[in-house]
Amino acid sequence: MPQQRAATLATIFSDVLADLAFMFTDDAHEDPAADDPWLETSIGYRGKYNGDLHFRCTRSFTYLLAANLLGAEPGGEDAVNSADDAAKEFMNIVCGQLVTALHGSEDIFNLTIPEISTMTETPDLSLDDGDNVSTISAEGHRIQLIFQRGATDA
Amino acid sequence: MSRNVLIVDDSATIRRMVRKTMDIAGLDYDQVYEASNGIEALAQLADHEVGVVVVDINMPTMNGVQLLQRMKQNSRLQDLPIVIASTEGSKQRIEQLVEYGACAYVRKPFQPEQLRDALMPILGVKENATAESGNTGDDFF
Repeated sequence: MPQQRAATLATIFSDVLADLAFMFTDDAHEDPAADDPWLETSIGYRGKYNGDLHFRCTRSFTYLLAANLLGAEPGGEDAVNSADDAAKEFMNIVCGQLVTALHGSEDIFNLTIPEISTMTETPDLSLDDGDNVSTISAEGHRIQLIFQRGATDA
Repeated sequence: MSRNVLIVDDSATIRRMVRKTMDIAGLDYDQVYEASNGIEALAQLADHEVGVVVVDINMPTMNGVQLLQRMKQNSRLQDLPIVIASTEGSKQRIEQLVEYGACAYVRKPFQPEQLRDALMPILGVKENATAESGNTGDDFF
């Protein structure tokens, strides 16, 4: 069911964020700074069913994520240098959990190698269609999650 | 038995987390080597004596399954303890990994004690460590 997909994605994202980085989703958020670029981290799964996952957040959120994963200072050199890797690995884990939640554990799925890129413009954060797009907040930062079903997806 | 550990994961963040977990758990290891894919791992294994390998599955160039296959074909490496630390949850995949020599599987996101429990039977703990043992439910084959 489409609505379950968006809810499942948001739930798994929140759970992994809490388990891995001790960070929590909430309702409060601040408007992103104009000079804080948006990044998109993408990963897919291939097998009996296919799908692609996109995680959009600001650069400053990736610093925070990396800092929490490593136990480092959010603005420190360590967190800054590890931010991209942290975001990619985070989505690697979310994707693995999502595949199991949506398609069970009987079939083998291969995950693509996650990629991260800077977005050319700020995403439309009002987009939350309850189907394949979920916009949430974590630690005061807005985050957008997009799920794209493949042609063979259930 | 060598107490050197090889951590194979394309994420530097995860490699550091594994290393940190081993320190916190007081595991008795000597040297840690790292690799970001299967090719690098084989190079490390050719150059260094290793007592246990912690391997991710989803990696570029040569993934974890391919690495285990190559290790199984090598008489020097085929009996090396292998702990899988992966995001995948497929039963077929786990069976495949066991077939290729994996002795334990920890699913990401793992709690530190889960990794500790997988590595402790292989490495043991240092004499002055106070690590607590407990079965947290992850598979040990």
